[in-house]
Amino acid sequence: MEAFEALLAGFGVALKPINLLWGFIGVTLGTFVGVLPGVGPALTVAMLLPLTAKLDPTGALIMFAGIYYGAMFGGSTTTILLNTPGESASIATALEGNRMAKAGRAGPALATAAIGSFVAGTIATVLLTLLAPLVVEVALKFGPAEYFSLMVFAFITVSAVLGTSTVRGLTSLFLGLFFGLVGIDGQTGQPRFAFGVGELLDGVDVVVLAVGLFAVGEALYVAAYQSRLTETLEKLKGSIWMSKADWKRSWPAWLRATGIGFPFGTIPAGGAEIPTFLSYTVEKKLSKHPEEFGKGAIEGVAGPEAANNASATGVLVPLLTLGIPTSATAAILLGAFQNYGIQPGPLLFQSQAELVWGLIASLYVGNVILLILNLPLIGIWVKVLEIPKDILYASILVFATLGAYSLHQSWVDLLMLYVFGLLGFAMRRWDIPVAPAVIGLILGPLAETQFRRALSISQGDPSVFFTQPISAGFLAVTAALVVVPWVVRRARRRKAT
Amino acid sequence: MRRSAAEVALSLGVLALGVGVAGVTATLPSEGGYAGIGPNFIPGVVGAGIILLGLWLAFEAFTGGWRNAAPDDAAARGEHAFQGAGFAWISAGLFVHMALIGWAGFVVAGVVLFACVARGFGSVRIARDLGLGLVLSIAIYAFFVQLLNVNLPAGWLAPLLGTAGI
Repeated sequence: MEAFEALLAGFGVALKPINLLWGFIGVTLGTFVGVLPGVGPALTVAMLLPLTAKLDPTGALIMFAGIYYGAMFGGSTTTILLNTPGESASIATALEGNRMAKAGRAGPALATAAIGSFVAGTIATVLLTLLAPLVVEVALKFGPAEYFSLMVFAFITVSAVLGTSTVRGLTSLFLGLFFGLVGIDGQTGQPRFAFGVGELLDGVDVVVLAVGLFAVGEALYVAAYQSRLTETLEKLKGSIWMSKADWKRSWPAWLRATGIGFPFGTIPAGGAEIPTFLSYTVEKKLSKHPEEFGKGAIEGVAGPEAANNASATGVLVPLLTLGIPTSATAAILLGAFQNYGIQPGPLLFQSQAELVWGLIASLYVGNVILLILNLPLIGIWVKVLEIPKDILYASILVFATLGAYSLHQSWVDLLMLYVFGLLGFAMRRWDIPVAPAVIGLILGPLAETQFRRALSISQGDPSVFFTQPISAGFLAVTAALVVVPWVVRRARRRKAT
Repeated sequence: MRRSAAEVALSLGVLALGVGVAGVTATLPSEGGYAGIGPNFIPGVVGAGIILLGLWLAFEAFTGGWRNAAPDDAAARGEHAFQGAGFAWISAGLFVHMALIGWAGFVVAGVVLFACVARGFGSVRIARDLGLGLVLSIAIYAFFVQLLNVNLPAGWLAPLLGTAGI
């Protein structure tokens, strides 16, 4: 009941007219930028971060909740009408949504995505409300050793366990960890890897890394490999409303997908990619019209889109309660928190309850805004999709450089932006995942702090990580996640030969 | 057996970075109070990790290529062959922007960047690109300077932007 009262107080914050306004602006901008082809949610949040520079923390975070949801929804519009998934989590939607659009049923596809996102987002936010205080209670018992082991677990799952290649995932993670080392060591004041450059002493900013990897890298890549390709934008014709049959087929898919998406979001499992595919597979298996799959089955849009939104909300559980980002977007959000001197974690629920619960309440509000704003405005989003690529990327880069330059008013940050752009280009071309690097940059310094704190407490005895049961448990699970698949693969290979 | 020069180069690049990190780490102090480890410990771990990953990548590159990687043939990825011109125009635009922004100002640098990037994507309508770049840059400048109080350099256009109340 305590959580309920806190939530009510949170609504008091979120429904203040000025905060409501920030929510509206956030959702609109997030959707607008999220709709742009090639711009995923991570880049949307990173690019819009400078906008909040002068806001008070509560208003800024509420605006960010809106941007976060708006970006998610905007991406699905692009996928359905253009078939260029801005992110891997949209690939499942592309399979059915774009085919529906080709068959002249773009309206119902967009509607089931929007309403499904609302349903899944709202249920997931209820689950977040219920779950967060429980996790906080457990997390309050964690010491530095437990935190460090938990972070190691998160590092390994986001980089080594998921994705196409363990070694490339780990390489990305370690690049991020290295970038995180640049700057002044928080505990001793020792400058590291700064080479006397003032801009580097402040450390590598997450906006510069994310915008470099996602915006500059993407622009270089698309110009080099895709600028001569032609894309077909599907027309939005007929009614945008869903028929009775559409409703009947959509709502079970929304609910099932919420059940799949939310838990996957709360564990460090690489964001929304797995649950969207899982939901797609489940819907295909359970559907009474399996023959429609691949030709535009509405369940194939309803499920993955709902799963996407539910997992996006689930990601906020470890982010808010433990301070651990498990997706690139969450890492950038954590960077935004840190800009305000706010460190998410269990203590935040006590020290700044109003801010945290205001943010959670604004998630409910954000979902409603998303629903009432997006279907009526769909015509505008379609217009956004008609922007030609040359103007689109030119505008993105002008805006992207602004965020980097406004940090120190210095060209050094712009040079870093370009270097990260080259890195992003190479990572895209040679199939190295980008998210582990962003997570490593943000989480690396936190992990180092906890590691050194744990050792200070144990007077330099490293066995503390293995003798504390919770910490040892996290490390054992981490080791199992790495070793078991490897052993299984070896055994299978031996059997085959 | 497949061997890609780019993969070999990238693997060796990662290895070289690891050696560099380890080299710089050797210059960092090691005293660490109660913890027994200093500001050089984690950099050492990260450096060693990058070296090992570089070796692992190189091993894969020399023994049949990186595993499960994207195909080298652009057509197999559904893309066209590498267009050096597009890459070069965007890079040039970003470097000119870097050089201009401090003294010519945000708007002038933005216009040049906009035109260069558009050119990189195949646009040949230079006048339109310069015009659109100007409108966008002034709009962003006005919005951030006026509404958000973010400090952006006015540069050459300072007299104009000043009299226009921006």
